[in-house]
Amino acid sequence: MPWAETIVDTLKKWDTSLIAYVPDISIDRVTSIINEDPFFHLVSCTREEEAVGVAVGSYAVGRNAAVFMQSSGFGNSINGIASLCLPARTPIPIFMNLRGQVGEFNIAQVAMGRNTTPILDLFGIAHYTIESEDRMDTLLDGVMKLCHAHRNPVAICMTPMLHGGKIA
Amino acid sequence: MLRFDATQLVLRHAGDSPIVGNLGPTSDELYHAGHRDRNFYTYGSMGLCSSIALGMALSTDDKVISLDGDGSLLMNLGAIATIGRENPSNLVVVVWDNEMWGQTGGQDSHTATNTNLEEVANSCGITKTATVNDLETLEEAFGRAMREPGPWFIVAKIEEADEYMPVAPVEPEFTLYRFRNTYAG
Repeated sequence: MPWAETIVDTLKKWDTSLIAYVPDISIDRVTSIINEDPFFHLVSCTREEEAVGVAVGSYAVGRNAAVFMQSSGFGNSINGIASLCLPARTPIPIFMNLRGQVGEFNIAQVAMGRNTTPILDLFGIAHYTIESEDRMDTLLDGVMKLCHAHRNPVAICMTPMLHGGKIA
Repeated sequence: MLRFDATQLVLRHAGDSPIVGNLGPTSDELYHAGHRDRNFYTYGSMGLCSSIALGMALSTDDKVISLDGDGSLLMNLGAIATIGRENPSNLVVVVWDNEMWGQTGGQDSHTATNTNLEEVANSCGITKTATVNDLETLEEAFGRAMREPGPWFIVAKIEEADEYMPVAPVEPEFTLYRFRNTYAG
């Protein structure tokens, strides 16, 4: 199954229907499907940290939520994750386009992109880098199970090897 | 108008509605004015109070109340634009506006000079708005907000009390667990 549809199916399986995001060209294939599907409510935010707040609010009233962003936006959302998601223990999956990888064309994206997974490690946030559709459904299902069992955010980092990267 | 008196007024009209408290004195005073299971205290994540309330409002039919602050909202003005875009009829944002960063030394915030948060909300498409300066006008505006569809955006000009109240004896994981149990059981 194509990677975008695998993500959508996994979100549905885990009854995760509020998606807060900041648009990104590489993961637009997923969010455009979500936007057309009445199962979901897609909330377009002005900044990634705002999306984290919206997702936590939704979870707090009993509706599972996820956020979509690119790795530069992870930089914008760190304080919200560190001072809200971690101390309150909220199982919010963070789907992100990991910039600064092979094929990156923009020097300004390299430092944040390449430091994203080390920063996730510093916070003890589980993260999985996905470069292939091979067994992606099994992996994502397991990531969601871990996310809810641990009641903490997890990061699903998708590289250009998976999604084809940004068109320069 | 003191924030604590205004918080007590909000609680009298809130019924079972969720209330999200901004970090610091707003959450502490919410706790002392009336601790309840549907108080969602925040401890950090400055700027996200009304974003959290928006996420709640989009996922429950209950009226959801955000008790935000001028300095915090200035950190995330985009939240007002997103509320305007989503247009949730069940969201009531109250901004305790003391025109300063009260906890960092009382430095003037931007609302002390040229920023008018009610006009910002209006420009984002939020039409049910008010700016109030005393308990009587707050009660009138907040009472309407709880009865009539919104989203509502109420700027309540407040003064700081001489002393802060004790820090609320609560902690984030238990706050979320307690709050969420009223929905997810």
